[in-house]
Amino acid sequence: MSTTTENEQLAYIASQAADARVNVEVETDEGMTLNLGPQHPATHGTLRIIAKLDGEKVVTAEPIMGYMHRGYEKLTEVRTYPQVTTLINRIDWLGSFANEVPFILAAEQLMEVEAPPRAQWIRTILFELSRIANVCLFLGDMAVQVGATTPVFYAFRDREFVLNQIERVTGGRFHPNFDRIGGLKDDLPKGWIEETRGALERMKSFCDEMEELVLGNEIFQARTRNIGVIPGDVALSYGLSGANLRASGVDWDIRRDANVGLVYDQVDWKVWTHPDGDSFARFWVRLQETREACNIIDQLLGSIPSGPIMAKVPRIIKVPAGEAYVATENPLGEMGYYVVSKGDLTPFRVKIRSASFSNMSITPWILKDVFVPDIISILASLYFILGDIDR
Amino acid sequence: MAEIPEHLLKRAQAARENAETNQPTSDQAPSETIEADSAVAVIEEEIPETDERAEEILNQILEGLGETVLTSHIAPGRGLWIRVSSDNWRQTAEFLKDELDCKFFDWLSVIDWMPSPYGRELETEQDIEPEQDTNEPEQMEWGYTGGDTRFQLICRLYSISNAAGIMIKADLDDQSPRVLSLIPVYPGANWHEREAREMFGVTFDEHPDLRNIYLPGDFEGHPLRKDYPLLSRRMKPWPGIVDVEAMPGEEK
Amino acid sequence: MRGEKEYLNGLKSSSYKGKHMGLVESGKMPKSLTKLLNMSRRYSMWVYQWGLACCAIEMGAAFASPRYDVMRLGVIPLPASPRQADFLVVSGTVTDKMAPAVRRLWEQMPDPKYVISMGSCANCGGPYWDSYSVTKGVDQIIPVDVYVPGCPPRPEALLEGIVLLQERIMNEDMAERWRGDPIVVE
Repeated sequence: MSTTTENEQLAYIASQAADARVNVEVETDEGMTLNLGPQHPATHGTLRIIAKLDGEKVVTAEPIMGYMHRGYEKLTEVRTYPQVTTLINRIDWLGSFANEVPFILAAEQLMEVEAPPRAQWIRTILFELSRIANVCLFLGDMAVQVGATTPVFYAFRDREFVLNQIERVTGGRFHPNFDRIGGLKDDLPKGWIEETRGALERMKSFCDEMEELVLGNEIFQARTRNIGVIPGDVALSYGLSGANLRASGVDWDIRRDANVGLVYDQVDWKVWTHPDGDSFARFWVRLQETREACNIIDQLLGSIPSGPIMAKVPRIIKVPAGEAYVATENPLGEMGYYVVSKGDLTPFRVKIRSASFSNMSITPWILKDVFVPDIISILASLYFILGDIDR
Repeated sequence: MAEIPEHLLKRAQAARENAETNQPTSDQAPSETIEADSAVAVIEEEIPETDERAEEILNQILEGLGETVLTSHIAPGRGLWIRVSSDNWRQTAEFLKDELDCKFFDWLSVIDWMPSPYGRELETEQDIEPEQDTNEPEQMEWGYTGGDTRFQLICRLYSISNAAGIMIKADLDDQSPRVLSLIPVYPGANWHEREAREMFGVTFDEHPDLRNIYLPGDFEGHPLRKDYPLLSRRMKPWPGIVDVEAMPGEEK
Repeated sequence: MRGEKEYLNGLKSSSYKGKHMGLVESGKMPKSLTKLLNMSRRYSMWVYQWGLACCAIEMGAAFASPRYDVMRLGVIPLPASPRQADFLVVSGTVTDKMAPAVRRLWEQMPDPKYVISMGSCANCGGPYWDSYSVTKGVDQIIPVDVYVPGCPPRPEALLEGIVLLQERIMNEDMAERWRGDPIVVE
């Protein structure tokens, strides 16, 4: 390298960084470029962020995605409707069952089929169980990102009880592929309701534990209070949804305001909002929502109606021509499928509106002028899953 | 394609016949098989044939935008679609944001209405029905609100105060699809437009940064266009469900 | 001084390999010593977890949860850097955009290094076999020692994969490994 000048070397290093091959810090006259990811220990999954720093302050931060892009929207066009559910399980892999529901509901709308009440009840219960399984890990992981290691072990420990219950019904811990057009694949196994109540007790005590362990912690509060504040109207114009939106004081929940096909109107529950819009508020809202999910499941378990679990649908499913958009309030926010059918075995076009993609699109705005350690806590509090961003 | 054993073809034939006989008829509506229950009665409401709220909103839109709305469609209980020309794309979004309180930017995408030149690319012979002649080129058909061109832009905006989602569609030019960016109205449109550019090759004018969002920078082609082939399928089609060994009790 | 000169000449000549570098490299390892070394290697492994997709969560359950507890197998998760790791678990979908990073990560690890490919995606592309952006199998870019099937595999399956890898290490002739040609993946 003796023949090259220092500037050439810097340019070389910068180009290497741009090629996503190394984690590198480059210092120039204008400031420092910090490259987080895609294999940095402090990042989630494989998200990569290039931050230009001025001292400890972030001047611009640019997320680079696509390391997990699998081309779902193209693949759905060459798969039949039942095959698509297998695939879309894997978009948000922490709450897999919740991914199937909006797609199935959209197809049901086009076929003008409605699932029997028992199926709708069980769907809602499984939907909320997958919310717990998903958000539970967030509660542990958020604490890890601000420096506490223990809570994530608790999260993994108690999450197993919920996964066991999902597995007992669907046969899959992770990817149930249980939802069918017109109902569900199977009924509940014997004794499941009582066991689920036991698991819910466990989750409730987990929520209490997290509240004592994390929420009141002085360091946690110092790292999250007034950090990454998103006002409500900014959140709306960026398309933030779910707990991120409600933590900014916008009282909107699809489960309550635009419910399709699930039985949230049969239970007495509350939508939690927080006026602050900071990282702390996002954690708080998600913690309350986990409790609320336990509450919803508790009520639904006591009132499951009897009856069949499948409506009459033809064995080979052909969806009539038309367009439908159904969104549900998934653990990460609004997830919807815009299904265009031409009366064929396969969808003509499926647009997947995934929550994390819109939630993360605010990062260049929110990471402006924050300090470097806050990058991690803000990203953790926005809560994204790479598969849900990149699809 | 590998040859499919006869017993599988027979099984597929039986399945097809079975499905045909099981077609739901009008007097066999699924709701009739359900026990009547007080809690059940609430969710068994018929889907309304007309949707007054959507019509009210559509009237407001027509009053405000007038001639620029080319066509509209209401699916009762499911949503409201309007189609504008691509020149009025940004004005429509501005109008909906200001007048109808559509502050929530939901998503933006493109539909390529051209039928796939590769057919349906289904994996098994069983899935393809023999009576359908796949050689005949399919005509381009548009969905709700019709269309004129191959690429159609679609965007969904949501109004929380009205509890209504509105789909806007706009036809784009076949040769050089381009439209004004929505970023000044909704900053959240940024990534959605980058994705649409990458997947369909639609240019968004006044967009600050139209690089690829998912694929590597030197990726060739626009994958979500219908004429983009899935090469794995083209090179070596999956032979379908073919048992290597006959199952016990089955004749090979 | 003469000895040093000879030593340096020996280094320069092509035949230095295996001559001056110790018992392992010279291929003169006593069997019992090999066994002892292998046993200590097999029960003290640092694993670098390269979580990519769904499988990463099951890997997390295996590595970070008290129920599955990978440390009882003598495997220590969460090293600070791949340069400290003995084996790598590639769990999840490897895309064409990510593949160079996976390769670079593997290159950073010191020899002897092993790779476990976890899940259908890393094994062969899995449900994305026809995708335009997914690498069909991580073994196209790095050599894989153990494949763990499943979509995603249960944590128990990953533990079984680790046990298989440990058996492989136990039966390995280290001298053989050193004498062999360097591993090249096209």
